[in-house]
Amino acid sequence: MLLEVLQGTEAGGFILLQDTVSYSGRHLLKSYISTALKREEEVVHVLGFEACEKEFRDGLDRTNAQRLHFHNAYSDPLGWTGNSAFTVHQFTLEDVSTLIKQTPQAKAVTLVIDSLSWILRHHDPAAVCQRLQALKKGGAVRTVIVLVHTDMHQRGTVGSIRHLATSVVTVAPGTRGLGAVAKTTRRTKSGKLMQDEETFSINEDLSVTIHSKLSHPGHTHVNTDETEVDPTANLTFNLRLSDTERQAKEKLALPFVFSKEKKSALLQPGPGSGRILYEPDANDDYDQEDPDDDLDI
Amino acid sequence: MAAPSKSVGKSTGDRLSCNTTSFQKKSRSKLVSIPGTRPSVQNGQLIVSTGVTSLDYVIGGGLAVGTLLLIEEDRYDSYSRMLLKYFLAEGVVCGHELYVASAQDHPSDIIQELPSPILDDIASPKPVESQTKPCDPEGPDTMSIAWRYQNLPKVQTALASSSRFGHYYDVSKTMDPEICQAARCHGFYLPEHSATVSSSPAPPPTATGQSPMPEAYVALLKNLQEVIHREGFDGSLPQTKSRNVLRIGLHSLGSALWGDDLCCRDNPSHGHALTTLLYGLRALLRSSLSVALVTVPSHLIQNKALMGRITRLCDTAVALESFRGSERETNPLYKDYHGLLNVCQVPHLNCLVCDLPDNKDLAFKLKRKQFTIERLHLPPDLSETVSRVSHGGLAGAAMLGSSGCGSAGNKHLDF
Repeated sequence: MLLEVLQGTEAGGFILLQDTVSYSGRHLLKSYISTALKREEEVVHVLGFEACEKEFRDGLDRTNAQRLHFHNAYSDPLGWTGNSAFTVHQFTLEDVSTLIKQTPQAKAVTLVIDSLSWILRHHDPAAVCQRLQALKKGGAVRTVIVLVHTDMHQRGTVGSIRHLATSVVTVAPGTRGLGAVAKTTRRTKSGKLMQDEETFSINEDLSVTIHSKLSHPGHTHVNTDETEVDPTANLTFNLRLSDTERQAKEKLALPFVFSKEKKSALLQPGPGSGRILYEPDANDDYDQEDPDDDLDI
Repeated sequence: MAAPSKSVGKSTGDRLSCNTTSFQKKSRSKLVSIPGTRPSVQNGQLIVSTGVTSLDYVIGGGLAVGTLLLIEEDRYDSYSRMLLKYFLAEGVVCGHELYVASAQDHPSDIIQELPSPILDDIASPKPVESQTKPCDPEGPDTMSIAWRYQNLPKVQTALASSSRFGHYYDVSKTMDPEICQAARCHGFYLPEHSATVSSSPAPPPTATGQSPMPEAYVALLKNLQEVIHREGFDGSLPQTKSRNVLRIGLHSLGSALWGDDLCCRDNPSHGHALTTLLYGLRALLRSSLSVALVTVPSHLIQNKALMGRITRLCDTAVALESFRGSERETNPLYKDYHGLLNVCQVPHLNCLVCDLPDNKDLAFKLKRKQFTIERLHLPPDLSETVSRVSHGGLAGAAMLGSSGCGSAGNKHLDF
């Protein structure tokens, strides 16, 4: 699943890469960029706030390096010196669009933001969400991939951004020093949701190797060691009936069962049924008056 | 609400002139007859269907015209979006007018995704069931049972009213574009409107800084008011014209895309924005022939007191909780369902009591042809590894999961 997300098969996607201080997601981000650069006619724009260009390009394939456009906001993110290539305040739809329009020949543009945490600290989160959505919908960008340090923000802020994302990858350090764990949640266009949790490691050439799938939410664990026991195998009594036994059983009239014959016998009094005989007695208290004579019927 | 009662009053007035008694037989003919509506069984309110038959049942027959239904979104907004689509699709089928507002997707996209109605065999799902249900006594597998229990009604978990109201839809197909185009639909797509809003009166918002609402909400309310007035839903049109109902679907109100930081912060700067909008919306609804469905991403809203206020301001509130992505997905208790449905609030319309559902443990599942809401119950556990005696009720069974303890290794049945 992680590999599918990294391949970026889906257009118009918004991938959110969540990391914390215990494991950095930048390596995964870089391996995404390197796979994107391997595709022909794909241009990657990076808004870099947290690493300098040299560090960022380090390890990436040099043959495709001219298709990676690094917009340096690392040296002067707030524009204090006045000659910054990109500042935090320029994170608006217009400014980002003009940046992307610098490469008009590009067929597919991937926008990488490293990291959104910087932007979130200087902009209203609601505005950031609106701009991201506009970028995603705008059509100028094929994929937006964003790194967020979740431990730097309020839960609601991260939640709102996650709400917009089509794919969310959360990275955490692996147990027993084995690589790292990535929790991937992917939403398809039809609204279907897929989740996976995998351990992975990143190789020298920034390719990702999946080691194991930890668990499949949605698939129940089936204990294979538990052999199915047939409880009817060794019984002290007979569970199955032979034909004669079955016939005998069906002949038996069960109590408290209302068969049709029984019902009709009860409803239609036969010749031998009982009758009420009543002879008036002298001591009977018989009321001559009609109790209902006051009613005008 | 207001409009039907107005017209009722008028017609009784006409009759009074020729009739000496003030007693009037309560009949259907007095209410305005609009396709897709009917008077409620409980209180005579004009109601429309939500598009989901079992949801209608749960909230007391249907949505009264002039009221507001709040859907609290599930985490990934898949089922709440489905309910919105059902609501709109029902409007299209009944010939109502639609008003769709969204900040995320273009309204026309939402309209295009509407599920296709199952029109020709409307009653087909039910007869099929009823044919199979009465098990013929001659069948080989029928069990004879004491007559006391023979005629007891079958326990029905799926909730549905006895009479048909609303339609069924096929989720796998989208509605025929011709049908969609026949419906009159008004869209409000925030990015389009915000361009005009923020460009022309750009300086005023700072001047009127104490405005309780962000411009997006103001623009939405103004647009809605204009549509209601222009199309005559507020009774401004002469009576001769046939009346219709406006179905308003507002998607994901309060999300960050509406420019509201309700979801982002614990103490939002526009804390009263959404509640103010809802007051305005209610006022519009109450004075017009319209009915609204609002979805709100309540799981993102940090301030629970605010969420409570929002729920209070809506007439009917329903919360969805999907099992997707939660550990409940693998829980055997929930394996037949897609999520839980919680009826937070049922309207009290012109009376003190309301029609509460008899069971509050409700779960929903989305099948291809139907969105059903059922009473939550444990499925009959047929696996032999489950020991039934040791667990105390549902909670125990839910906690222990499918791998029952104890009896798993027993090779013999003990009696």
